[in-house]
Amino acid sequence: MHVDRRKFIKDTLCAAMGGVSVYSALGQMKLLQAATAQAAYTFSDYKALVCVFLYGGNDSFNMIVPASGGARTAYNATRPTGSGGINVSASGLHLLNAPTSGAGSPGDASGYGLPPNMPELATVFNAGKAAIVANVGTLIRPTQRAANQYLPDSAPLPPQLFSHSDQTSYWQSSPPTNQPVTGWGGRIADLVMSANPAGLPILTGLGGQDAFTRGNNVSGYVMNSYSAASLGFLNGNNGAVTCSNPAGAYDSGAATAFCNMQQSNTQSNAMERAFAASMNHSINTSGIINAALAKARPVSAQYGVGDPRNSIFKTFFTNPSGYDLDSQLQTVAELIWAANQGAVPGYTGLKRQVFFVSTGGYDTHSDEINSHADILPLLSKSLAGFYNALNSKGLASAATAFTCSDFGRTMTANNGGTDHGWGSHHLVVGGAVKGKKFYGNGCGFTAGTNYGVIMPSLKNPSTSWGTPSPNQNDSGDGYGRVIPTSSVDQYAATLAAWFGLNTSDINLLFPNLSNFTTKNLGFI
Amino acid sequence: MRTSLCVFAYRARSLAFGLIVGGGAGMSANAVAALSHGPDPLFHDGVEGITAGPFNDSDASRFLAQATFGPTDTDIAHIRSVGYNAWLSEQFAAAASHELTYLDWATNTLGEDIGQGNRQEAWFLAALGGHDPAGGADHTDQLRQRVAFALSEILVISDQNTTLSGYPEGMAYMYDMLVDNAFGNYRQLLEKVTLSPAMGVYLNMMGNRRADLVNNLHPDENYGREINQLFGIGLVMLNIDGTPQLSGGQQIPTYTQNTITNFAHVFTGWSWHDCDEDQGVQFAYDQFTYCFPPYEMPQDFRTPMIPFDTTIPLYPNNSPSYHDNGTDATNDVVSKQLLLYPGVINSGILVANGTAASDLQFALDNIYNHPNVAPFISKQLIQRLVTSNPSTDYVTRVATVFNANRSSATQLREVVKAILLDPEARLGQWRNADTFGKLREPLLTLTHFWRAMDAKHMCGTNFVQTNDDNSTTNYKYKNQPYRYAGYSTVYGADDVQYGVGVGQAAMDALTVFNFFKPSFAPSGELTARGLVAPEFQLQTDSVIANTGNSATYRAYGLDIADTCDDQGNTTYPEFGDVKVNHAKDLALAGSGQGGSADPSDRLVDAYNKRFMSGQMSPYMRDQLITYLNKIDHNWANGTDDWRLQRIYRALYLIFTSPEYMVQK
Repeated sequence: MHVDRRKFIKDTLCAAMGGVSVYSALGQMKLLQAATAQAAYTFSDYKALVCVFLYGGNDSFNMIVPASGGARTAYNATRPTGSGGINVSASGLHLLNAPTSGAGSPGDASGYGLPPNMPELATVFNAGKAAIVANVGTLIRPTQRAANQYLPDSAPLPPQLFSHSDQTSYWQSSPPTNQPVTGWGGRIADLVMSANPAGLPILTGLGGQDAFTRGNNVSGYVMNSYSAASLGFLNGNNGAVTCSNPAGAYDSGAATAFCNMQQSNTQSNAMERAFAASMNHSINTSGIINAALAKARPVSAQYGVGDPRNSIFKTFFTNPSGYDLDSQLQTVAELIWAANQGAVPGYTGLKRQVFFVSTGGYDTHSDEINSHADILPLLSKSLAGFYNALNSKGLASAATAFTCSDFGRTMTANNGGTDHGWGSHHLVVGGAVKGKKFYGNGCGFTAGTNYGVIMPSLKNPSTSWGTPSPNQNDSGDGYGRVIPTSSVDQYAATLAAWFGLNTSDINLLFPNLSNFTTKNLGFI
Repeated sequence: MRTSLCVFAYRARSLAFGLIVGGGAGMSANAVAALSHGPDPLFHDGVEGITAGPFNDSDASRFLAQATFGPTDTDIAHIRSVGYNAWLSEQFAAAASHELTYLDWATNTLGEDIGQGNRQEAWFLAALGGHDPAGGADHTDQLRQRVAFALSEILVISDQNTTLSGYPEGMAYMYDMLVDNAFGNYRQLLEKVTLSPAMGVYLNMMGNRRADLVNNLHPDENYGREINQLFGIGLVMLNIDGTPQLSGGQQIPTYTQNTITNFAHVFTGWSWHDCDEDQGVQFAYDQFTYCFPPYEMPQDFRTPMIPFDTTIPLYPNNSPSYHDNGTDATNDVVSKQLLLYPGVINSGILVANGTAASDLQFALDNIYNHPNVAPFISKQLIQRLVTSNPSTDYVTRVATVFNANRSSATQLREVVKAILLDPEARLGQWRNADTFGKLREPLLTLTHFWRAMDAKHMCGTNFVQTNDDNSTTNYKYKNQPYRYAGYSTVYGADDVQYGVGVGQAAMDALTVFNFFKPSFAPSGELTARGLVAPEFQLQTDSVIANTGNSATYRAYGLDIADTCDDQGNTTYPEFGDVKVNHAKDLALAGSGQGGSADPSDRLVDAYNKRFMSGQMSPYMRDQLITYLNKIDHNWANGTDDWRLQRIYRALYLIFTSPEYMVQK
C-alpha cells in the first residue's frame, strides 16, 4: 500500500473517532474498506479541476434568465420590475441554444438566456463547451416540499441553511461535519497526490484560502492572483534559494540564522511550529510556481520575464484587474500550460492539479440589477477567456472549470435586492464538458411541470405542492427559497469521476452520495 | 520600582545567563544544538499574587503585548513603577482618542477632501499614541484602543463595502462608538452599533421595510441573522465555559430560520435621520423609500438611524408605517417568536402593537439576555488579546464577570480587567507552554514595530490635486510628524487584503466574518490536536512572504535620518513615509569595533525584552548573537555606523521568527 494512502486512512479514522456527527460514521467505515483495497493512482494524461467560487451567494435566477415560455411568465409574476425591482428584461438576453425538450433541455419547455452583459459565455455555451447544472444545493438526502419533508423539518437538513459561512463551508467541504474539516478539493488531492512527483503543488488557491483547499495530508498552496510571493531576503546570485541552501543567499549568514529558526518541528510551542510550517511551505512552493509562470511569461521589449503582461495568454484576458477572477484564471491557465510543457525545471511530471479561484460581490441584498450587472461581465469574460486560452494551445479538454457559491437567492425581492436562498444554477466550462445542455433535474422553473416542485413559492403560493403555508412570511415558503433538486455531492462526484477517481473512492469522498440514486449527473 | 524576592532571583539569573552566553559564540556545533528552543524556565514567576506585578521587565513587556499596540521601553518602565492595577486605572481614566476629531481637523483646518486613507491615518494615530497634530491632548488610551480594535473584529463593518468606501466619516463614527464603549456595557454598545448608519448600510437594516406581499417584498434578513450569529449568541447553545452543549451527542442550534425571519421583521422601519435636506418643504415622494445614498451627506452618517413609524414633523410622507409591528394581518408576522431559552422574557414572543423603537428594545434584550452572550463574547475577546485556546476555566471566569456586570455601565471594563489579570493570562505561558498564545495579527506586528522604534511620519508634499470633475483637493503632508500616511505601501498596511505589505487594515475585512473566523485552524498539528489558531487564516503562503518582505523593508530602511528628496516634487507628490529611529539603539549594538570581541548580546537582550517579552529561547538567542557577532566595523556602509547593520538584521530576524510571531 502506498504510504500516502495509509496516512489518509489513519488520519481519517482518527477524525472519525473524534467526530460527533452521525452523518460521517457510515462514510468512514466505507473508507476503510475501499481504500485498503485500492492501489495508488497513476495517470497517463493531465487533468485539472478549477473551482470558481462566487462569494456572497449568486442570484443565478438572474444569470440563467427565463427568456420565453411558462418560465418567463412565472418569472415576471415573481420578480417585480421598475424601481426596487429585480426583473431582468427578456429582450437583450443571449439565448442558450440547448435542446428544447427531452435530455439536455431546461425541462420546462421554456427558453433561457444569459444577461446582455455575458455574451462571451453564451458563445462558449452555444459552441458546446459549457453546460448548466440546474438547481444545485446543499442536501443530505433528497428533499421535497411535496413530501412535507421541508417544513416541518422531518428530513435531515444541512445545518444553518441560508448562513453565508456555514453554506460556503458546506459547498466546499460537503459535508462540513467531517472532522477535522477538509474540503473536497483537498480530499481529492489527498487521493491522487501519489500520481504527481513529490513536492509539486497539486492544490493551489489564488487570492485567498478557504476550506476547499484543505486536505488531510495535502495543504493547499495559497498564492496571489498573479504570482507566488517569495522572500526577497532569500535571493542570491542565482535567484531565490530555499532553506536547503541558505548559503546561496546574498546575506548567507542572516539567511542561515533565519532558516535555523524555521526548522520544522524544532520549536517549543505548537503555534510556533505551525508558523514555521507555513513559512517553509511558502518558501518551498513559491520558487516552483514562479519558475513555471516565468516560462509562460517570457521577456518582452517592455517588461521583464515573469511579468503577467508578457503572458502567452494576454490576448484572452484584456484589461485585467490584476487581482480578481480574470487575473486568477489567467495565472491558472499559465500553470496548466506549463505543467504540460515538460520543459520547466522542477515542474514536470504533473498529472493532476486542483485549483481554487474566487471573486466576490454576489450578496446582492440591494440594488441588485445594477450590482449584479457590475460583476457578471467579469465572470463571463474570465471563464470564456480561460477556455479560449487553453483551447488555443490544444489543452481545452485538460481542464474543467465549475462555479460554486454560498447559496442561491430568494425568488422574491427585498427592497431592490434578494435574500439568502438555497438551490442555484451552476456553470461547468471546458473541452471535456458535454455542453450546450442543461443537467440536473432541469430548471423546472414552472412549478410542478417537471421533477416535482422546486419553487416552493412563487408570488402566490398555490396548492400545486400541497397545502400552502398559513403564513406567507413563513421562511420556507413565501420567500421563494428554492429547494435544490441536485446535491453538491452529486455535482462534485461527477467532476471527481471525470478526474479519474474510482467509484469506491468517490463514495468515500462524499459520504452522503449514497442517499442519491443518481451518482453521476452526466455533464462531463 | 516594585520589588520582590523574584526580582533578585531574576537579576542573579541574568548574570549567570550572560556568562553562559559569553562563551556561546565559540561553542561547538554540538553544544549549540543542545540549547533549548523554549524560553528559559528559570524565569517562572508567580510566588507573589500575580496581579501585584509586574516584578520584572519581561512580565511588564508581556502584559503590554496583550493590552496595547506593542510594548515600548518607556511603557515597560512605567508599568514596572506603578504595577498592573494602577496602570489599568490610568488607562480606564485616559481620554478617548476619536477618529472623527482627526478627520474633522483634516477637513476643516487643512481643507482636505478626506477619504479612507485619512481614516487609516486616524487609526494609526490612536494606535501608535503620542502627540495630537490638531493640538489636543496626547493620545495615551492604548488599552481602550486595543479593546476597540478587538471589538471591530467582532462587530464588523468594512470599507470593502462600495457604499461605505465613500464615507470614511460613517465608519469613523462607528469606530469611535467602539472606542467610547470599549469599557462600557455590551447591551448598550449593541444598540448603538445597530442604529449606526454605517452598520445599517453594511448589513441592510437601513431602509429595511415591512413586507409588502402585493409587490412580493419581504424584510431583509441580513442584520437579523448576523446580529445573532456574529454579534450575539453564535449558532449553537454554549455552556458558560464556551464549549457547545450536546444533546444525544449533537450540538443544539440556537435558533431556526423562522427565528431569523422574525428578527428581520422586527428590524424594519429605520432609515436616515434626515431624509429631507430642504426641511419643511413637502415633497411628493415617499421619504422612506427614496432616501438613500448618494443623496446623503457625510454628516448624516454621524447621526443614528430613526424610526419611520409615527408622524414626524417635516416627514410628511412616511405613511403607511414601514415598521412591522404585527398589526397588518396580511403583511406582518403578528406574534414574533424570537430566541427561546431558559428564563427568556415572555417566552421570547414579541407581541403586536409596539413601535419600531420599543420592538427594537425587546429584540435586543431578547438577544442580550441569552445565556450564550457571555461565553460567546468573552471567549472572542480572550482570543483577540491573550490566547487562541483559553481553558474552559478561563472562559468561565471571564464569562462570569460578564454576567455579574450585566447591568453595569462599566461591564466591559470589568471583563477586560478579568481577561488581563486572570492567572492564565499572566502565567499560561508556563502552565500550558506547548499551546499557549496566539499568532500576532500582521497589523499588530506593524504597530509594535513602529511604537517600539519611535516612528514618525516624515517627508511628504503639500499639493493641490485636480480631480476628474475639475474640482481640486488639498493635501498637506509636508513635515507632519503625526500624520501616518505612508501606511499604505509595501512598508505598512495595505488596502488590498492579499496584496503587498502586511495585508491587513482596520475595518477592512473582506466579509462580515472578519479577517479570520474564531474557529479557524491550519492543517497539520493544530488541526489534528483540535486547537484553533484564527489568525492563521489571514497568514497565507503569500501573505507570510509579503509580511516578511515588509518587515525587511522596515528593518533596513526608512530611517528618520534619511533625507527627503521629494518634498519639492509637485509632479509626483508624495504622502511621505513612516520612519523609525534605528540609531537610538547604537549604544546597545556595540561599543567598539564589533566582531566577537564587541559582542551583540546587549542588543539581543534589549530586543528580547522590547519585542519578545523576554521569551526568546536560548537557541534563538544563540543564533542571533552568533550571527550578529560576525558583523564588525568593516561593515560600515558609507557614512552609516557599522552598528546599524546589527540593528537592521536583528530586527529582521526577530520579525520573521516563529518565536516572535507567536505572542505567548
